[in-house]
Parts: sequence; structure tokens; C-alpha cells
Amino acid sequence: MVRHLYVHIPFCPKVCPYCSFYKEASDRNKTQAFLDAILLEADQSGEGLRPETIFFGGGTPTALSTLQLDFLISGLRARLDFSELREFTIEMNPATVSREKAAALLERGVNRVSMGVQSWDDALLKTLGRVHSASQARRSYHILREAGCRNVNLDLIFGVPGQSVALWRESLLRTLELAPDHISAYCLTYEEDTEYFERFRSGEFVPEEARDAEFFEVTMDVLSAAGFEQYEISNHAKPGRECLHNLAYWNGADYAGFGPSAFSTQAGLRRRNIADTAEYIRRIQGGLARHDFEESVPDGLRASEVVAFGLRTKQGISPEGIDPKVVSALTANGYLEASPDRLKLTRKGKLVADAVAAELL
Amino acid sequence: MAIKNTRNFCIIAHIDHGKTTLSDRLLEFTGTIQKREAQEQLLDAMDLERERGITIKAHPIAMEYTAKNGHHYRLNLSDTPGHVDFSYEVSRSLAACEGALLIIDAAQGVEAQTVANVHLAEKQGLKLIPVINKIDLPNADVETAKKQLEDILAIPAEEAILASAKAGIGIESILEAIVERIPPPSGKSDAKLQALTFDSTFDTYRGVVIYTRIVQGTIRAGDPVKLMATNTSYDVKEVGVFKPQQPKFFVREKLQAGDIGYVIANIKTSSEVKVGDTLTGARNPAESPLPGFQVVQPMVFSGIYPINTADFEKLKAAMGKLQLNDAAFHYMAESSVALGFGFRCGFLGLLHMEIIIERLRREFDMDIIATYPSVIYEVLRTNGELLKVDNPEQLPDFSLIEEIREPMVICYIMIPNEYISPLMQLIMDKRGEIKHTESLDTKRVMLTTELPLNEILVDFVDKMKSITRGYGSMDYEHGEYRPNKLVKLDILVNGEPVDAFSSIVHRDKAESRGRALALKLKEVIPTQLYQVAIQAAIGGKIVARESVSAMRKNVTAKCYGGDITRKRKLLEKQKEGKKRMKAFGTVNIPQEAFIEVLKTG
Ligand SMILES: Nc1nc2c(ncn2[C@@H]2O[C@H](COP(=O)(O)OP(=O)(O)O)[C@@H](O)[C@H]2O)c(=O)[nH]1
Ligand SMILES: C[S@@+](CC[C@H](N)C(=O)[O-])C[C@H]1O[C@@H](n2cnc3c(N)ncnc32)[C@H](O)[C@@H]1O
Ligand code: SF4
Ligand SMILES: [Mg+2]
Repeated sequence: MVRHLYVHIPFCPKVCPYCSFYKEASDRNKTQAFLDAILLEADQSGEGLRPETIFFGGGTPTALSTLQLDFLISGLRARLDFSELREFTIEMNPATVSREKAAALLERGVNRVSMGVQSWDDALLKTLGRVHSASQARRSYHILREAGCRNVNLDLIFGVPGQSVALWRESLLRTLELAPDHISAYCLTYEEDTEYFERFRSGEFVPEEARDAEFFEVTMDVLSAAGFEQYEISNHAKPGRECLHNLAYWNGADYAGFGPSAFSTQAGLRRRNIADTAEYIRRIQGGLARHDFEESVPDGLRASEVVAFGLRTKQGISPEGIDPKVVSALTANGYLEASPDRLKLTRKGKLVADAVAAELL
Repeated sequence: MAIKNTRNFCIIAHIDHGKTTLSDRLLEFTGTIQKREAQEQLLDAMDLERERGITIKAHPIAMEYTAKNGHHYRLNLSDTPGHVDFSYEVSRSLAACEGALLIIDAAQGVEAQTVANVHLAEKQGLKLIPVINKIDLPNADVETAKKQLEDILAIPAEEAILASAKAGIGIESILEAIVERIPPPSGKSDAKLQALTFDSTFDTYRGVVIYTRIVQGTIRAGDPVKLMATNTSYDVKEVGVFKPQQPKFFVREKLQAGDIGYVIANIKTSSEVKVGDTLTGARNPAESPLPGFQVVQPMVFSGIYPINTADFEKLKAAMGKLQLNDAAFHYMAESSVALGFGFRCGFLGLLHMEIIIERLRREFDMDIIATYPSVIYEVLRTNGELLKVDNPEQLPDFSLIEEIREPMVICYIMIPNEYISPLMQLIMDKRGEIKHTESLDTKRVMLTTELPLNEILVDFVDKMKSITRGYGSMDYEHGEYRPNKLVKLDILVNGEPVDAFSSIVHRDKAESRGRALALKLKEVIPTQLYQVAIQAAIGGKIVARESVSAMRKNVTAKCYGGDITRKRKLLEKQKEGKKRMKAFGTVNIPQEAFIEVLKTG
């Protein structure tokens, strides 16, 4: 039985220059066919799926209209067994939030919202090419709360060219004032095939390792002082507010993914739907294979993935099968905290989690 | 064919003066190859040779030619490498010949390598036929070339044949001169067999193939023969001559006095054949072996180590194969504290070393590290004992050393006049001395200099080339040993000396080199989880320190479902990268660090 469902909605009001998620600018002509295709995909591969968590991600799921979202959720509900659903998250861009939409979503069973605020500084929002202002984000946040949303995450980005540590601290404090349940704080990554990557390659944007490290430290300081627990490198939650859907990924659970570019991992097979909306629709309609990538994930591989991801979480990993010499070098240098049954990253270790993982694997 | 109708010759020339092109023309003219078969340059067989424009390996080739006098001749052409690093191979080819074509580019004139190779050929008593090539070029200056022939090489100018290998001018005159001026080999075909093995190669299907010059006697398939140095006997399976095109081996019924060709005799391993050895009849052996030729000692040494210790055997096999057709390359197992098990390798010179390393990487797909090259030092101990040291690690404690002597070279450098003063500066920097200066023509001079071999090993040629904008040329002969103030420079990584980075250098240069090395290493060693301290030390005293600080941040921001595969690939790439580095305790040193150290002169 597969317990987790991801649905990819590949539309955005405007494409951000740093983002490499598969998305396109919203196109009214395609949307209905797209929604039909998702439901068809649920018909074709919904068997054995009884979701405990659903995550509508993107892109920007709320780029869909209230009516379209309603159609999609009702359609899924008609096809899948929602009886054990515990967490239903939807990602939002602050520019796509309205009172009606929020109310409708909550009514349809959505119980968690993740909103991309990124920054509270208008100049920085402009650098990031965001469509919304800081005040619009604040308004959207209040709309969500007023509509009765009791579990809200805010996404923030740091390490943006032009961003100072002071400005970042300020953004964190402004976020805390709103008392969200969860904060995802991402270090800006120069992803291939983005405008930012080109500017990074041309030398215009220069990542500064030392400064990024400082951003990281400030994040940990400020958020832990405010009662948030860093349960994963980039994720901080109030007690009991961890994102179950993400935890499932990191723990190596099976999951289904619908929509273009969505991954699914089931019974040792990982596949990705083709990352092309028109082609995705065509293939689904024709009952054709819709994957453009496939790999088998045998148990051994899955185990090493769990090491790599588990290391990023507060639970850490089991020391079983890991070279004790490597462990003791890492502990002696303050990267790891080792107890007989767990290895966890220290604060210093979190900053270099990838290098530590490479040592351990 | 009668021995009096055989001519054995080779071609000596500075790089790019047209040796390969002319060889092709000769092969075409004699009908050995058809014109359409003549791909660009047939004789340069190996990729590496083509790229570097030098011929590394000598391939003898047989041609038939009917001269104007109506007689029929067999001409055996041995190609020769142009660079002095290969003087050993040059002299091997020369040993199989009675004459040589000396090519001079009409536009460039005599170059340094021409001088060195002419000295070699004359020492072996070869008849030289000067050929002034490229007369088709608009800037050809035949008169100056002739004058240089007389002034610098003491060869009468009227002997020169004017030619253009490219335009096909003078080819027949060259062939006629080969027939007329080069003496036929002496030696009787009915005498006891004496055949000089001047090279060998390994063929997957045939085993060891000996390249031989029959000095006297006759050899046929089925003959029992023996190699005199090792006193082992074999049955000859096949004899023949080489053709430039496939199949390369052209079977003949017999080879006789004066012939150059190959012998296949069921020899399984390369080590059984010593190049320079004499092949004789097993039943009716010659009284004595041929004088052979002087076995040259390698002049430059370096440790070559597999990056992955598990590749030791593979590397050993690769070296064995290389040595088979490059007898001048020596190797011996050694071990290094830093690098584990590997080989101490001896080379004729730096170019030779570079080529071997590149061939190991390319042809044998080996991931290897080479240590800083060393010459052979003579170390006089306080107790009067004299040691030969080719590895800084073998130096006794300095309190036990009376003096260290280093090998010198006589270096001929030809350069355009305007670069004299920067070049003199370079020679001073390299602890050299200018012995004398001679004008070649109105534009160029030849400097005869004496330099420590150690100083020209690494970057001297590159620097000379860049000072002279590519117009300079040089070559060298080995000179005597001379005592000097030499010290051992160590590089320590996190407090531990990395023996692979050690070198023996002049005291006055040790500190600056130590600083340069430490800085270079700081640049090429990537930041890692642990801080890396790099120090340079002379006799235990630290003269420079640098450090690579530990990495501050190395973490992926976001990991959602699909990212798992991507993230894993990233980690795998990191791991792969680490594999290509050499681990010293917790420090990983990338291959480039070793290469950079090699380049830091
Ligand atoms: N113009 C002209 N170019 C020539 C002649 N002979 C050779 N070359 C060119 O000179 C270059 C070097 O020739 P190559 O035969 O490889 O010289 P090698 O290095 O001595 O073997 C090539 O580009 C040839 O095409 C010639 O007679 N005339
Ligand atoms: C699919 S978006 C969330 C919802 C919505 N599309 C939005 O942008 O408001 C997921 C989050 O990933 C983060 N993100 C996207 N590209 C990133 C990058 N290149 N580096 C770091 N974080 C990035 C942003 O914080 C963004 O909010
Ligand atoms: S960050 Fe969000 S809104 Fe911007 S392009 Fe990416 S998915 Fe769309
Ligand atoms: Mg050539």
C-alpha cells in the first residue's frame, strides 16, 4: 500500500529566474486538459494508493482557479480512498491567494499550506523576480489564518546576491512575528538551466561559502531561540508540526507522483513522468507510457539513500555498517555526535552535511 | 639480392624540417606505397607522435629501387626520433645503417638538434648526405643553409641536394645519392650468423618481434638460434621485412648479411630480449658477440605510483609492455610512505618521461602520480664512501655528507639575436654559464652553455621557447659531475613529510622554491572537512607555511522526493572525485597537485 501522493501543478503566474522546478506560465487553454489528465492518471495508477499525506506542489498549485482546484480535489477524492488522510499540503505563491480560494481549499480537506515568501524585503523580492511584494505576502498570510488554516509553512531564501546577514536576520524576525507553524529556510542554489545559473557562470553572481555559512548559523540561532526545532537541515517546525510528507521521503517510504515531472518510487522502482505538460497529456490520453526516467532502487541503494537523507534529519542514522575510523575522525573534529545507536550531525556538521555524507557512504 | 646492392640508411633532422614528408616521398617514388595510400604521414604510427610532431619509435622499412645505372637495389630506411632525449634510439638506428640523410629546412637553417644528431652520426662513422629541403618556400634561403653546413657542421656545401619533399623536387637525386654515396654493408652471407637486435616489439599474435640488422651470415625460418647475452636458444618461426602499410610484416624466405628486418622466434616475454644483444646460430655460433652499442643510462628519475593501490599489478604489466619497445625506459618497484607501492622509473630526459607518463595514461588507461623528477647525484659521505642517489629519500643525514655532486650538461641554444639578453638572464637563473657565442648568420646566434641537468629538467625548454617566441631551439650533451651546495627540500602536509613532494635543490633557491610550492599546493588542494597545513622545510627547518582552511559550507538546500536521485548522483560524484585523489590520513590530495608540483621549477 502506497501512503503518500505528490501532485505536480506546473503553472506559475510568472517564472522566477532562480527556479528549476518544472513549470510554465499559466495557459488557460491547457488547464482543463491537464486536470483531466491528472484524474486519468489517478484512474490508471491509483490502485494500491491510500494516502496518508498529499502534497500539491509545483510550480504554483494556486495558479489554478478556485473552481479548477475544486474540480481536481473532488476528482481525486472520487477515485482514491481519503479515509486515512492526515496531511494535505498545498503550495502557494502569495500572489495567488484569495479569501474564497483559501476557504474552498480548507473545505475540500487541505489542512496545510506552504507559502513562498522568500524574503520580507521588497528590493530583494525584486532581485528574486518575485511577482508579489512583502506586504502582499503578509496580507496573504492573514487571509490564510482568517480562513482557518491552522498549519502554515513559510518558505524563505538566503544567500541571495545583495542580501546581508543583518537583512536576513530581520527577515527571520519578521517571519517569527507572524507565528507560522513551520519555516523552510533554503540557501539559494544556482540550478542549471536557470537565468541565475547563467549569471553565476558568467561570474556576475559569486557564491560566498563563508557568508552562506554565517546565514546558516544565524538561521539556527534565531529559529531555535523562538522554539522551532530544526528537524531537517532546511526545515524548522514547532513541536508536532513537522511535514509528514517530507518525512516520508527522507525515511525512504514509497510514494506516488502524478503530473508532469513528478517522481514516484514504488516497489523498488523509481520513475519520473515526462517533464512536458503537452506531451504528458498526450501520453496519458493515449494510454502510453508516460515516464522519461526510470531506475531500480534495490534495498541496498535505498539503505544508502536513507543514510544520506537521514543524516540531514534530527533522528540521524544508525552507525551500523559504517567505518568506525571515519566516525571517530568526524566526531573528533566536531562534525558528528555519536552515541552507540545513533550518529547525528552537530551544528558545525550540518553546514557540511554533504561532505560528511560522502565520508560516511 | 646481393649485399653490394643493399643500402641501409636513416634520416636525421630537426623537428618539422620534413623527415616524415620526405620518407613518404621516397616510399612513393620507389613504389613501396601507392600515392593514394600515403595518408598524411605514414611513418608516424602512434597518435602521440603525431600530436607532438615527433617520431618516438624507429620503424625500419624496406624499399626496392632501380637506379639510373640499371641496377636493382634494396634500400632499408630506419626512421629516427629527432629529440636528444632519444639519442639512444637514434644511435640504435644509426648502428644498423651505413649512411644518413641530413635534412635542413631551407627557411630555418641548421638547428640545435641538427648539431647534436650530426655529432652522433659522425661518431658512428656514417656517410652523411645533406639535403636542403623546402626549397619551394618563398623564404627559402639556400645560400645561408649551405654556409651553415660548412661553418657549423663542417660538411662541404657542394654535397647538398636541393629538394622539396612537398613538391616532389629532388627525390630521384636523393635516391641516386643513397645508391652512389652510401657504401654497401660489408659482411659475408655465408659466415656464421651475427645479427644485431636493435629493437623489439610485442605483437599479440606473434609474441616478441625482434628488429635486427644482419651483420654477417644468413637467417631462415626453422633455424635454431640463440641470444648471446642470455645464452638462450629458440627456433626461428618467421623472418621478413617491414612494409609501411598493413600487413606490416612481409614474410621473406631468409635475411642475409646487410639486411634489416624482423625475426620471430617463439620468444614469449619481452624481458628475454636485450636490445643490443647478438643473435647467432645455436649449432654453429659466432665466436664473439657484436660490440652492440653503449647501453645508455637513464638520466632522469621519477617515482610513478598508481592512484589506486589495487592497480599496482596492472601498472607493472603496462610498464613491461612499454619497456619492450623502449629499452631506454627503466623501472624498479619501490615504495613510498605517502604513495604506497609503485615504481622508480628512469628516463633519458624530461620529454621521454612526459611521453611515458602520457602513454601510461592514454594507452593503458592508468591513473597515476609521478613524483618530482630527480637526476643522479653523487654523494660523498664523510667516511669517504661515494653513493649514487636518484631519489631525495636516499640521501643520508646531512651531517654525514661531505659533498653532493650534480651532473652538468653542455647545452647548445640557437636563438634570434634580439633575445640574447633575456636568455642570458634565464641561464643565470638556472645556475648556468655561457661558454661561448657564435653567429650563425646575420640573425641568429648559437650559445654553448653549461648548466646543471637538474635545472633544465622542468621548465627550461618552455621558458626558452617563450622568451624567444618559439624561435629558439636547444639540445644538450651530458657533461661532468660537479660539487655544489645542494639541500633537500621537504613538503609537509599536516606535519607529515610527503616524500613524493621532496626534491634536492640548490641552497640559494630552496627557500623561494619552498614558498612557491606551498602556495601552489594551497591553490590546488580543495577545501575539505579538515584543515590542511602545508609547510616547506629545509633540513627540518620550516621555511614556508600555508593552510587550506576547512570547508565552511557544503550542503544541499532542498531535498524533495525527486531530488533523491539527483542528490545521490551528486554524492556519487563527490565520492568518485575523492577516489581520484590520494588520501594522506584525512587529507585528500588531487592528482593535479602532483602535476603542479612537477611544473613548479
Ligand atoms: N613547403 C614545404 N613544406 C614542407 C616540405 N617538407 C615538409 N613540409 C611541411 O613541413 C611540416 C613538417 O614536416 P614533417 O615531414 O612532419 O617534418 P618532421 O617533423 O621532420 O617529420 C609539414 O607541415 C610538412 O607539410 C617542403 O618541401 N616544402
Ligand atoms: C515550488 S516553490 C513554492 C511555491 C511557489 N511556487 C512559490 O515560489 O511561492 C518551492 C520553494 O523552493 C524554494 N526554491 C526554489 N528554487 C530555489 C533555488 N534555486 N534555491 C533555493 N531555494 C529554491 C523557494 O523557497 C520556493 O518557495
Ligand atoms: S519559485 Fe515558485 S513561483 Fe517561482 S517559478 Fe519556481 S515554482 Fe514558480
Ligand atoms: Mg615526423
